[in-house]
Amino acid sequence: MEINNVEILFAEDALDDANLTIRALKKSGFTNRLHHVKDGAEAIDFLYCKGIYAKRNITEKPKLILLDLKMPKISGLQVLEKIKSDPALKSIPVVILTSSKENPDIEKCYSLGANSYIVKPVDSDNFFNAIKEIGLYWMILSQPPQ
Amino acid sequence: MIANKELAFQNQEKEDRAAELVIANNELAFQNQEKIDRAAELAIANELVFQNKEKEKRAQELIITNKELAFQNQEKEMRAQELILANKELIDRTAQLVSVNNDLESFSYSVSHDLRAPIRAISGYSKILEEDYIADLDVEGVKVLHSIMSNSKKMGQLIDDLLAFSRLGRKQVVFSEINMSALVKTVIEEVTSLEGQNIPEFYVDDLPNASGDQSLIKQVWINLISNAVKYSQYKAKTRVEIRTYTKDGLVFYTIKDEGAGFDMAYYDKIFGVFERLHSQEEFDGTGIGLAIVQKIVQKHRGTVWAESKIDEGACFYFSLPKTI
Repeated sequence: MEINNVEILFAEDALDDANLTIRALKKSGFTNRLHHVKDGAEAIDFLYCKGIYAKRNITEKPKLILLDLKMPKISGLQVLEKIKSDPALKSIPVVILTSSKENPDIEKCYSLGANSYIVKPVDSDNFFNAIKEIGLYWMILSQPPQ
Repeated sequence: MIANKELAFQNQEKEDRAAELVIANNELAFQNQEKIDRAAELAIANELVFQNKEKEKRAQELIITNKELAFQNQEKEMRAQELILANKELIDRTAQLVSVNNDLESFSYSVSHDLRAPIRAISGYSKILEEDYIADLDVEGVKVLHSIMSNSKKMGQLIDDLLAFSRLGRKQVVFSEINMSALVKTVIEEVTSLEGQNIPEFYVDDLPNASGDQSLIKQVWINLISNAVKYSQYKAKTRVEIRTYTKDGLVFYTIKDEGAGFDMAYYDKIFGVFERLHSQEEFDGTGIGLAIVQKIVQKHRGTVWAESKIDEGACFYFSLPKTI
């Protein structure tokens, strides 16, 4: 497992959603340095180089974090809060990917500093397009602070 | 002499009798007085009896009144008790309704979250099959794959429609004056802008403004106008007329097409959720459009109804409050 030089940190507990998202990013050419974590706790460990990520280089920060909201142990919302309240991490764009339009957390996400909130489309064409565009926008078009 | 004596005696006699008569008279007068006195006494006594009777009657009446008052008091207490009970019931019912509402909200949340995920997976994996493995499938296999894809797409659409409908139920109506002519013009442009459609000719009355929720009423027009276009698509040259009239402080809008129409025998179904009178192959759709129209109009305390003849077209009516 390559834990250094990660450009996209992708937190998603649902295996199918993870497979499909990774595939969509791969098809669009963005997966060479993507790392998938299965819950919020692992995302925190990754970012703070703890547990199985103790050997990761903490000075390397991902360019983009894709975060599912409903995850076991530590929820996406808690991960988001932690990232956005940490001066060292808060400039990393965080894109919330969720299954639900009904989610009452949408406003909370933005007020916590989420950069984008995307409802995963059910339709496969729309889903693959959405993921592709997220990659395109945040990895290529959007300029991070220097 | 003898005669004199006789006369004197007779006189004496007369005098005695007169004296006796005077006495008798006096006696009679006294007796009369007595009688009058007694009569007066009797009258007084009678009056007293009468008064006593009156008093007794009044007393009886008072007793009855008292009893009635006591009864009324009891009634009032009972009513008060009943009111307290009714109040308690209301509070319980309100609590139940709130909990049902919460259940519905968590239900639609889980429908949205938990049902969408597996459909997205089915849809996504079939897409992968189509993109990368279609060469390994024979004609039948490709057909089956496409059936899976179109069904998962349909299922996704149904879930999204159901959610839109349930969200609508919880949405607050924000009343403002709606410029109906402008709104309808915009909606017609939006609905007819998709290329490759058979677009009917539109006739629109000068529409009066109405009071309502702009975004919700726009949805009503989108659904009615796109239905009119959709159900007219197989007819060469058709017309859609949007007209209006006012009655009893309400504005009525009508939209009439010359499309496929529907059988009035199934009228009670057309506003139902996911109810359809045409097959998917004939006319695309999930059957949510008119249910949404009805819900929105009802939320505005208006009414919506329709008339139709098969193959001749349909006319939909809805009412809204006039602007104040």
